[in-house]
Amino acid sequence: MNRDRLVEIGVQAEVAHPVHQGTYAVDSYGRPIILPGMAGVVANARVGDLVFPWAADHLEPGVSAGNPQRDRYQALQFLSCVGNSVRVLTGPAAGAEGRVTGKHAFVLVDFPQAALDVLAPGDGLLVRAVGQGLRFLDFDDVAARSCSPALVDGMGIEVTPDGRLRVEIAAEIPAFMMGAGLGMSSEWANCDVMFTRREVVERLGFEHARLGDVVAMHDQDHRFGRGYREGMLAFGVVAHGGYGGIPGHGMGVASIFSGPRDRFELVQSPDANLRTCLSLAA
Amino acid sequence: MTKATINTGELLRTALVGDVTSPVLGINPYDVTADGVPFVSIGAGGVCYTVKVGAEAHGWAADQVEPGASIANPDAAANEALMLYACIGNRATVRSGDAAGAVGVVTGKHEAFHAYKHVLVHLPADALDAVVPGDRLVVYATGRGMAVDELPEITCHSLGPELWDAWAPERSGGRLGIRVTRVLAPEVVGMGSGRVSGATSFALQSEADEALGALRIGDLVAVRDWDATYYTGYHEDRVTIGVVSTGDSPVLGNGPATTILLSGPSTAFELAVDASANLADLLEL
Repeated sequence: MNRDRLVEIGVQAEVAHPVHQGTYAVDSYGRPIILPGMAGVVANARVGDLVFPWAADHLEPGVSAGNPQRDRYQALQFLSCVGNSVRVLTGPAAGAEGRVTGKHAFVLVDFPQAALDVLAPGDGLLVRAVGQGLRFLDFDDVAARSCSPALVDGMGIEVTPDGRLRVEIAAEIPAFMMGAGLGMSSEWANCDVMFTRREVVERLGFEHARLGDVVAMHDQDHRFGRGYREGMLAFGVVAHGGYGGIPGHGMGVASIFSGPRDRFELVQSPDANLRTCLSLAA
Repeated sequence: MTKATINTGELLRTALVGDVTSPVLGINPYDVTADGVPFVSIGAGGVCYTVKVGAEAHGWAADQVEPGASIANPDAAANEALMLYACIGNRATVRSGDAAGAVGVVTGKHEAFHAYKHVLVHLPADALDAVVPGDRLVVYATGRGMAVDELPEITCHSLGPELWDAWAPERSGGRLGIRVTRVLAPEVVGMGSGRVSGATSFALQSEADEALGALRIGDLVAVRDWDATYYTGYHEDRVTIGVVSTGDSPVLGNGPATTILLSGPSTAFELAVDASANLADLLEL
């Protein structure tokens, strides 16, 4: 990759506070729901934990980092890459180091448990953003999006003798399951896999999916936006979870790179999770 | 087969206001096509003289072109109500400007993520030439709350009784018999998953189903394994029926915006494929 050409920028962020409209949403069973999950600090669900067994909607594990200024928020969304380092600037956890583990409405950050236990909305953060502009040398038809050099290293991606990228993954996702997030920019938030009902999770064998899993999405082109294209493959990391999802939403997968199917060799691995790839602290 | 009926006597008719919009763009005007080519988006907002309901959905040098006049209420909350209450087939009257008094028909709904939300109105040619951004239209909204008699498992959304009557669904053996131009695979749905069904449309990704060839704006289409009872999303053994409201898009995951009319278990519908099932004919636009 073009590691020595990438620029690293300090981007201001803060722990976001949850907000609510004061009305019920409706889940896939037609039940009115009010469930937590988005924004703030989730100290008891972390990358590496199971995706589904939570009474939550759009569960963002760890810390949700935002910025109250719209233009700064957009810069944070577009420039942050999975694997980037994050430092706590203010509050009792000041000095703690974390890593970007995904994107949704916010940039999602995992910190050591001791920091998560004391972090609170409003605490200042600095994301050391590096990765947009990353290219895999000799793979011009593969586009990296929100993928840091540290993540490429941690995933152990290798070039096979027949000239393909060998990628370890935890699961493969069929195109018909892709929901909210299609049609959006590749770098913005993520794309939901429509696991909003227990029976679909079980039928497709995803009960053991974990937050942070590296997954491959079939017939998905996530190079210039996100959408259906036969023969294309997109890779991402499971960024948000929870079970109480409203229809068309579900398990969020943040895009990291995409290209023609025949440019990749897929290898199933139980270690294809950010907790292992990024050596996240306990 | 007997003519299917709805709760006509229970439906309110209310007046909502929408003003003719004008296109909006950011300081940097470039979007990017699926192949990574920059382009300037044109087609949404304002008045479109070129493309009308009944025209091809594909092949325009445009991004989700909105046929006819595109209206919205300038107050965001009032616009949400306009988006929810206006139904396809409803009458709309021009209230101000040179076209005042002209009568149009609601043909679709269209929104862009974190941007505009529009109701689309077909107007006679002379009125279309005369309206300008800012002109006020009154939509005589009726249809919200519609239910199909003896088929409570079917949910109705942006379906006006005017379209219901023209479409003339039939009922036989516990099913609703309706005409659609094509039945599509669930992979076609792009941008629009997870939206509130009654207020919006979803995009049909052109590459996801060969049946999308020769699609026309105004075509009635069904998507299998798709539910829109409350929000739009994958649900095996359910069907969602909508009407194509805009043209295609060069942006990945986008495509012709399709406004939601009906949704329910697949066993509640008898779909008859009829290539002529298009709003332009049904509503005599």
